[in-house]
Amino acid sequence: MSRYLSNSVSSRSFVGCVVLVLLVSSFVGCTTKAKFSENAVYILKQERDLNVEISPQQRRDIAEVLAGMFGTPDKPNVPKLGGIDIANVLDATQLHVASGPVSSDERGRARGLYREHCAHCHGVTGDGAGPTAAFLNPYPRDYRMGVFKFKSTPKAGKPTHEDLRDILANGIPGTAMPSFKVLPNNEIEALISYVRYLSIRGEVERELAYLTADLVEGERLLDVTGSREDRSEQAASIRETAARVVQKWVDAESQATPIEAPDPERDLVASIKHGRELFYGPIANCVKCHGDSALGDGQKTDYDDWTKELEPINEEALEQFLGLGNFVLPPRNIHPRNLRQGVYRGGRRPIDLYRRIHNGIDGTPMPATLVIGDDAAAGTKGLTKDDIWSLVDYVRNLPYESISLPPVIEQGYQRERL
Amino acid sequence: MLLVCATFPLIWVGGLVTTYDAGMAVPDWPSTYGYNLFAYPWQTWLFGPWDLLIEHGHRLLGALVGFIAITFVWSVWRNDQRFGVRVAALAALGLVIIQGGLGGARVLFDERQLAMVHGCVGPAFFAYCIALAVFTSGKWKPVEDDLASANLPRLQRISLLTVVFAYLQLVIGAQLRHISVMATPGFFRGAALFHLVMAAVVTIHVFQLLFLAKQQNASVAALRFPTTLLAALVLIQLALGGATWVVKYGWPEFLAQHTFAAPYTIQAKSLFQSLIVTSHVATGSLILATSVMAFARSVRLNRVPTVALGSSALMMELAT
Ligand code: HEC
Ligand code: HEC
Repeated sequence: MSRYLSNSVSSRSFVGCVVLVLLVSSFVGCTTKAKFSENAVYILKQERDLNVEISPQQRRDIAEVLAGMFGTPDKPNVPKLGGIDIANVLDATQLHVASGPVSSDERGRARGLYREHCAHCHGVTGDGAGPTAAFLNPYPRDYRMGVFKFKSTPKAGKPTHEDLRDILANGIPGTAMPSFKVLPNNEIEALISYVRYLSIRGEVERELAYLTADLVEGERLLDVTGSREDRSEQAASIRETAARVVQKWVDAESQATPIEAPDPERDLVASIKHGRELFYGPIANCVKCHGDSALGDGQKTDYDDWTKELEPINEEALEQFLGLGNFVLPPRNIHPRNLRQGVYRGGRRPIDLYRRIHNGIDGTPMPATLVIGDDAAAGTKGLTKDDIWSLVDYVRNLPYESISLPPVIEQGYQRERL
Repeated sequence: MLLVCATFPLIWVGGLVTTYDAGMAVPDWPSTYGYNLFAYPWQTWLFGPWDLLIEHGHRLLGALVGFIAITFVWSVWRNDQRFGVRVAALAALGLVIIQGGLGGARVLFDERQLAMVHGCVGPAFFAYCIALAVFTSGKWKPVEDDLASANLPRLQRISLLTVVFAYLQLVIGAQLRHISVMATPGFFRGAALFHLVMAAVVTIHVFQLLFLAKQQNASVAALRFPTTLLAALVLIQLALGGATWVVKYGWPEFLAQHTFAAPYTIQAKSLFQSLIVTSHVATGSLILATSVMAFARSVRLNRVPTVALGSSALMMELAT
């Protein structure tokens, strides 16, 4: 065929094509085996905060201790921590199903679920820096901080099993987090286990980095060359650290914020009006962030807790963090929700909104409410449970409320806000 | 022609295999769970797990294409004396065998990179079959024309570029699709942007082709069909590409704030999602194949420059 080509295809464009082909094949590169990566950001953070240097040896120690306790992405391990019933939180068979490379057997039983469904966003390590992460806003969750947004437990509490199941089944509207409701129940269960596993592993890693930063120079986290007593003492303290992390997950199951249903006979119009007053009022002060028209434009310069680790407002620090590699995603501001759209990421049922307002949204600026009893003395700062229900009524009514309604009904509140 | 017809569904099912990550639903090869490929109990296959259905189905279809290729070589040997055609037919069979081997290796070594190569050779084979079909098509032999139009070499060059770009685009697409979970966000970002740039490049070339073919006098009707089809396919493909992003990753940031986009929740592994994504992959192959057809036809037109042109009726026949 080249005979016919030579006269019509200029050599220039041909060279161009060849270069392109080479470029693409260099892309194709080789695959790397799935492995857990180190939390370089947190280690650097410790170094900066305490003005110490964590040596390569100490970093290796952290990695080895973690591998000993938690295994690898292909062969996860449930650490034995004595004292707590870790099996309630991490189930070894479920972890096996969720981990490893993607495959399934003749009866359709799958393996490698996490890598099939989640890792391209959340990363093999659960660091929220999977390959697709850079394009998504919000970024996929970094589980390693052990902080979750949409849950029934109070601030700083872990999500319950039920909470994680809701997230996986429903997804998070308006974000890249998909709904996995087509997956069979046992696969969902395995994935829940695996999220907890990655989260626990990640949080233990942070604790170990923290312990390491406290060591005097040359001292090791777990010194295999040290004396027997030293070693068992070191191992015991590591186990204790891990146990503390796991315990929080055990506790979460009984920590869901109890909810009393609102009075179904309540005067809805009055409740909405009351909610509106609270929304613009000085105590709840929702308007500060969500804005005068509740469009989510009250303030748009804040960051979530994951981003704050990079010290985004400290230019020198930020540069250092970003310099670690392109797995550190550039900081982006978190925006309060536009409440006029009626889209709620943590669920749209009234009790979901009640929980969001009561407990705040962990890891974000959205604050928890200071709750006071119905019988609190007049003038006590805080909101009663009925007040929160009024806020829920108001928020639920917001998408239908005329946007041209003046933001503040009574002059009195305006003065208080100023 | 039969070869072409059988290959396209193969690519579709192959695409489905990846969409459902079912490549490893059958861990052995060339046997299926110890059974010979053709002896695998069909009840288990058809009524068993979905992953098994498509992976085993893909294998059976692949075998079918292999048989067709063998028959093809055999018939060429009997009916066609031309050396070039015989070699080309053999090469097609060779490609089928290699592709089958690659598919097998992908399963045996469980290596995503191989899956990607397997995914890239498939459409190449499809395109090759199209080229073969054009070159061996009987209708061509008697054509004698005076098509020495000034634009033909240009058409030929641009259609070749289109082929190259379309194939590159397909390879980058496969990169995005088979992205290693260990790849960094920067790598994916680079590949995705490259995919977008190439989409623009391919689109520009395709429309240039359409324009050139329209400029030709009626005698190049043979080029009208592939170039028009190509333009239509590219438009569809652009829409499918955008849709693929949305069903997998949600609305891009600049749209996500709008009321129509805000409530959207991605439905992982839903029928709709897999339909969109697999269509995008299959249309990519079609674009490649159609551009190869345009190129092959332009080469053939260019090759018989100064012979008298038959009736326009003959040309009409050519075009179809
Ligand atoms: C297309 C990308 C994508 C995929 C795939 C994905 N996620 Fe997510 N996920 C996200 C994003 C983005 C967020 C953060 C949402 C937010 O902050 O509002 C998130 C958040 C989460 C959260 C935290 C929810 C909370 O309350 O804080 C969990 C748990 C989670 N994902 C689990 C999973 C699991 C398990 C899988 C696989 C079955 C998965 N995700 C697949 C993008 C993804
Ligand atoms: C300090 C700023 C701040 C204040 C004060 C604040 N919010 Fe928010 N709110 C946020 C941010 C930020 C988000 C988005 C969090 C996320 O999902 O990332 C949010 C989200 C929400 C959501 C959406 C929950 C969901 O499931 O999607 C609701 C509802 C809400 N806020 C109501 C309120 C109400 C009612 C008040 C007053 C009691 C209030 N907020 C006060 C910052 C604030």
